[in-house]
Amino acid sequence: MAIHLSESIKLGFSDIMMRKVRSVVTVIGIVLGVMCIMVVLAIVNGMNQSTMSWMNERGGLNKIEVSKNWSYDWSKGGDASFSLKEIRYLQAQLPEAEAFNPSAMDWELTLSKGETRYTTPILGVMPDFTKVEEWNADKGRFILDRDIDEYSNVIVLGTEVANTFFGNRNPLGELISLEGQQLMVVGVMKFRFMKPQGGEMAFSENSLGYLNQRCFIPISTMISKIKPDSKISSIDIRSTSPEAAAELRKKVENIVLNLKSGKRLFEVSSAKEQMDTMKQNSKIFGAIFVLIAIISLLVGGIVIMNIMLAAIKERTREIGVRLAIGARGWDIFLQFLVQTVLITGLGGVLGILLGYAILNRVGVYLQMNVVASVQMIWAALSVSVGVGLIFGIVPAIRAARLDPVIALREE
Amino acid sequence: MDIIRTQNLIKDYSLGKVKVRALSGIDMRIEKGEFVAIMGPSGSGKSTLMHIIGCLDRPSEGEYYLDEMLVSQMPKSALATVRNRKIGFVFQSFNLLPHLNILKNVELPLMYGGMGKAKRLKQAREILDSVGLADRLRHKPTELSGGQRQRVAIARAIVNNPSILLADEPTGNLDSQAGGDILEIFNRLHSEGNTVIMVTHDALVADRADRIIRIMDGRIVDGNTP
Repeated sequence: MAIHLSESIKLGFSDIMMRKVRSVVTVIGIVLGVMCIMVVLAIVNGMNQSTMSWMNERGGLNKIEVSKNWSYDWSKGGDASFSLKEIRYLQAQLPEAEAFNPSAMDWELTLSKGETRYTTPILGVMPDFTKVEEWNADKGRFILDRDIDEYSNVIVLGTEVANTFFGNRNPLGELISLEGQQLMVVGVMKFRFMKPQGGEMAFSENSLGYLNQRCFIPISTMISKIKPDSKISSIDIRSTSPEAAAELRKKVENIVLNLKSGKRLFEVSSAKEQMDTMKQNSKIFGAIFVLIAIISLLVGGIVIMNIMLAAIKERTREIGVRLAIGARGWDIFLQFLVQTVLITGLGGVLGILLGYAILNRVGVYLQMNVVASVQMIWAALSVSVGVGLIFGIVPAIRAARLDPVIALREE
Repeated sequence: MDIIRTQNLIKDYSLGKVKVRALSGIDMRIEKGEFVAIMGPSGSGKSTLMHIIGCLDRPSEGEYYLDEMLVSQMPKSALATVRNRKIGFVFQSFNLLPHLNILKNVELPLMYGGMGKAKRLKQAREILDSVGLADRLRHKPTELSGGQRQRVAIARAIVNNPSILLADEPTGNLDSQAGGDILEIFNRLHSEGNTVIMVTHDALVADRADRIIRIMDGRIVDGNTP
């Protein structure tokens, strides 16, 4: 003989509805705590997603970059550049790499045709650029191995550059001049776009817009004919998988160190490892805030325990009557525990709804990407129910242990 | 057949260091279908006796058989079941739950007995009809007169069809008119075969009973034979 859980839930609901104001006051702490958890988790989630999509747009987690080491003490001498010969040697040492692309870049070169002039970054690259960046020509073709070997005068334009010079006309086969050389347009790159994530919103409408201004020529042409003083100071490499990236990175680092007689002129980094570091940071950030939220939930729980203890004191006679007509201690225990859990659970639901409602505002205010997920909702809900269970037990036990004779005598 | 039989019931209370003996050896028999009044001055132990008979409390010593079942040694949870199935309480101050309507109040013992919703609603309605409150089902206790409240309490006490109906000064808070009505109901329930035990110090009320058991200083002094 026991009352069903559904009866306890109905009982708990009617008690809560009967004492609306008290219930709301009781649960404010839980609502705020759950709301905080929701918002913080959404921010962390959003940070991770932004990082991830950024990484993907920039060539994914397989990417390894060799670049000038800015923390090297350059007063000791050394030149952060590779010769074409060194590049060929390094490439030969890395058969396991999926793609290998060195680049020689000049930030400000002026292209001209007729009256039109356009100053933009020009990159000398190799064919693997398309694999490393996962970005290829949309019209025509990209740089080929033949172009490298033959020092060809060819150029692949970014969409913005192509529009500036040719508008709607077909640019393929047209000549364009750069540093006194006539280059033939053999391709136009695919248009790049990514919605700005939070903080960049103020500065641009396309966070990858700068890529559409870039133009590409064979690396051999770049360092011989266009800018003989330009240097090959960065290499992008792709491993076959994100897991293989760490090992490949170490290998590249060793070879480069040997090439440069032990001087750390270059820094070798892998996107996967950068990503892991960033994720680690956002995890720590999230953990701190979730800890704060949990403390506020505990405080809320203690408040609830006190209010329930007071409520039980106030309802002693009712408990006595229930015991007299056949309620067992267990029934009374369940009645009050379920009531507490219902209050905190409803508080949790309210917190989730409020958190959800303010998420986007918080995102706009902090200029950050916030992303809610179903797991977060479950986490917030189970934490609030858990608080009810933990802090409901003591009052419920006290209610269940009341002596019916004494309880009935209570005024 | 004895519905209630006690042997040498003793109940001691400790008030700080002092031990107080509330019951000092009660041997009592009540037969099924009897209407018994228990009388005694305040402090005589009649309330304590009623609590033990009602299974709200256990004796310090002695044996108590209710409906041929030894209940004096039962654990608390089992006593709750006994209270639910075998005993119907009517209190002086009604003890209805103020925030529940009277239908829900009457339903409560059936709910704790594990009966399904539809069945217990039907049963509670029937009982409330029998005490003349069929038109007040949705009223809260505070919206009823004292006499009506006590009728709700009686309905709640008998809804489970208990072995004994235990009333503690049931007319104590009522005027003579309402009190008379309530006693009529007890008489009717008795005539229908129910066992009624009523604790009172009002001689006029006690006169309605078949037998009066008188208690003094924790002992039965009169009326101990059915």
